[in-house]
Amino acid sequence: MDVDIPDQISALISQLPQGTGKRTHRTVPVDASHPFELETYIANYTGRGAIDRLIHIITSAPSIAPEAFNVVVQHIQQTRDPSLYQHALNAYEEVAAHAQLPPPSDLATLDTRWADEMIASNQIERQKLETEVKTYMNNLIKESIRMGLRDLGDFYRSIGEHGGALKQYTRSREFCTTSQHVLDMCLSVLELLIEHRNYSHIATYVFKADAAIDAASSAAQASGATGAPTSSKKGSAERDKVQSKLDFATGLSSLGQAHYEKAAMCFLRLGPPHQLGDWLGKLVAPGDIAIYGALCSLASLSRSAIKAQVIDNPTFASYIEHEPYIRELIEAYMSSNFKVALDLLSKFSTRHFLDINLAPHLHDLTNLIRDRAVVLYFQPFSSIKLERMGASFGWSLGEVERHVVRLIQSGDIKGRVDSQNKVLQAKQTDHRTELFARASKAGKDIQNSNRKLLLRMRLQQADLVVKAPKGSHAQPTTERHTPE
Amino acid sequence: MTPTEASTALDSLVAQIVASNNYPALEHTIRNGLPKDSRETILASALSSGQDPLTVLDLRAHTLGVLYIISARLQGSSSTLPSLQIVADFCRVFNPDQARIAPQRVTQLAKSVLRISEDLENPKWAVEPLHNLLMRFAPDPSCLTPIHPLFALSCVKTQSFTAALPLLLSHPITSVDTSLTPELTYSDNLMYHYLGGVILAALKKWDAAEDYFETCVSSPAQVPAALQLEALKKLSIIQLISKGKTSSLPKYTNSQLSRLFKQTPYTAFINNYPRNTKQLHNILDKEHPYFLNERMVGLLRQALARAPRWSIKKLTETYLTLNLAEIAKEVNISSENEVRSIVLDMIAVGDINAKLSISGTVTFSDAPSEVAKITKDEVDKMLYDAQVQGELLARLEADLGRSREYLTKAVKAKDDPWAGASNEEELFAMGMSGVGGPSNPSWNDDAMFS
Repeated sequence: MDVDIPDQISALISQLPQGTGKRTHRTVPVDASHPFELETYIANYTGRGAIDRLIHIITSAPSIAPEAFNVVVQHIQQTRDPSLYQHALNAYEEVAAHAQLPPPSDLATLDTRWADEMIASNQIERQKLETEVKTYMNNLIKESIRMGLRDLGDFYRSIGEHGGALKQYTRSREFCTTSQHVLDMCLSVLELLIEHRNYSHIATYVFKADAAIDAASSAAQASGATGAPTSSKKGSAERDKVQSKLDFATGLSSLGQAHYEKAAMCFLRLGPPHQLGDWLGKLVAPGDIAIYGALCSLASLSRSAIKAQVIDNPTFASYIEHEPYIRELIEAYMSSNFKVALDLLSKFSTRHFLDINLAPHLHDLTNLIRDRAVVLYFQPFSSIKLERMGASFGWSLGEVERHVVRLIQSGDIKGRVDSQNKVLQAKQTDHRTELFARASKAGKDIQNSNRKLLLRMRLQQADLVVKAPKGSHAQPTTERHTPE
Repeated sequence: MTPTEASTALDSLVAQIVASNNYPALEHTIRNGLPKDSRETILASALSSGQDPLTVLDLRAHTLGVLYIISARLQGSSSTLPSLQIVADFCRVFNPDQARIAPQRVTQLAKSVLRISEDLENPKWAVEPLHNLLMRFAPDPSCLTPIHPLFALSCVKTQSFTAALPLLLSHPITSVDTSLTPELTYSDNLMYHYLGGVILAALKKWDAAEDYFETCVSSPAQVPAALQLEALKKLSIIQLISKGKTSSLPKYTNSQLSRLFKQTPYTAFINNYPRNTKQLHNILDKEHPYFLNERMVGLLRQALARAPRWSIKKLTETYLTLNLAEIAKEVNISSENEVRSIVLDMIAVGDINAKLSISGTVTFSDAPSEVAKITKDEVDKMLYDAQVQGELLARLEADLGRSREYLTKAVKAKDDPWAGASNEEELFAMGMSGVGGPSNPSWNDDAMFS
């Protein structure tokens, strides 16, 4: 007996991004003014998390690509997925074609015997697991089927077949008997999705996991009432742990979908690092969280919110410890020392760009932070010379004018530029008259739209609705009717 | 049936018309009392004495009979045509109450008037009778009748736009009464609003034209009509002319319509408006035959001519001072003199509030807020309007709450205790799929694990 796999799952699988296939071709320099320590960076990650990041670094930073390639081959040999080598090799060769780099064979080669053995043992393992699942299915023991499917999913994941893994995990859902099982399954799927940077689907599973936690904790409380009181305490710690993971997943998904404010709130809400458990290293490093949280906050939150939620947040401080420059950045920003803040951003742009989750959004985030800085800077002034503004930001006059004009046009700065004297002046609005104007306009608009809506309602009541023509019942308009 | 027989039949009919004062019964007699196939012939004949029945009857007192006879004769061959004077007189003096008993005949009359005026190559003649007919026949000029589109059509054809202006401006359509005019169709509604828009646009009453086109575009539709697409094209270009940008359509507009519109060259034009004048010219040149065929070249040219003004206006929001050369660069006009003349014109018309110095520096000052001039009386009027509107809506609400359809539905929903709950679940499920992409339906049973 086999279990039907709902169509949606297969649709989901087909939407998974194709591994290392899509890459931006932008490259970044690594030098004294853009420091980046490969070894210290990659030491924070293990397994596939490290490999994916290294491959990203190979494509993005040609100057350290050989070193990264060397490291990635070592990492690959500790996994069960020889196909990763091919990915790494492709990435490296593509970069090597543009830059003058030594051929990959000089750097590191794959132990072919290891690869062959691994492929063979994977084959055996797969057959073993599949047979097991089949037996369980025949015996109809739910718990065994669930565990069998879970193991099979884990196995697929370890050999890099994400689609297969997702399929097995979701299949196991039907055989879950307690909400704890559901939760475990959701977390496995989330790990898989995060690993694969499939941001848009994360929210679905976070929601499902949330429902499962609620169910699990109410069940725990029910049993805790009769059993030992310690169990409920343990339960809530467990719950916090899962909650942190879910918050992190939501944050990452929001970041991936460019909802920076939501992402910032999620990252700032996270519990202390140890709550993320085995996700640290496998999926993310604490330093990354500091960077994501800080950049998203600076790009989307108000100053008071940053003060309350970033600076006065002891939990988040423990993440910031891992990347001390983040503290400098936030302090410079908060003390309106925007030149320093922007310099820091550009100095660490390489570090940020080489982050696998942040890279696609770095440009937008930087722009947002810069724009907010300009807006904040101008706020207390009623007029200011553009030159002085330029000095505070380290920009030329032309650059300042370009930024300011853009911000005025987008409505972020309420002011106007005196282009003869190069002065930016705040707009003086008469709020009273503005209010009157708005109110009178609103009144007219509403009357107008009421009239139209009522007419529309009457037309519908009278059934004067445009319908598709029937045969010869030709209106002057027939030829453009689209068939339904 | 021979002419004599017809005349005799008409004789007795005329006698009845004169004698009767029970108009619905009379209407019934005329409609059903005569043999179906020869009814129109009878109505169109002369009396047996050779007299024209219309001279015997009084146009006002015997409205119903006259209406039948005139409309029959206008339909018939040219030999029976009544004199145009009589038709015009009838339209001026007829008794609306009697006419409303036979609304189809009124529509028929209106159609014939339009047709005859064209046959006689005197289309302008139709405007006045149609206007009279419309104003007298409709219980209220803002109640849509089939005559509305005919009148608008005649105004557009004869370019006598001003004739329709009072009707269009002071009596926007607010109600539809199919009990009075059962033959009303959706295309009457579409056509009237489309033509109304055309008339107002020709008179450069942009705001009002926009309203009319919008009503046409957003009329209820299962599938969009071509006329709605045409209206949408005109609406968009008119918005460019009067506001410099297009505004979004009401939410209830048929969604296919905007999709269809996106496939037309107009979209490119709108997207490049007003900054990219060069591209705008290109589009206009490249698609010239298409636009010409659609008869939109005039409006598009007007929009194009106003493009630099919108760009300049935008600049006033950003800058305090600019010299002409900078403006020229911003709006893509090569000659400074041209910019100068545009700026001068805009200052003169009051589009922008600025000073132009001899050196070529334009100093913009804040627009004098028109509202500063709002007086107490105007505020009172606004409040009064709002109250009237509020009362109107409250009354409508009460009417709706009383109506049979609403009550039946409300009672039904109450009887079914599951209706509310299932609705909530649906909403919830919708919310979820919105957030998290496709969610597996078999997953909605999470609750069973609690």
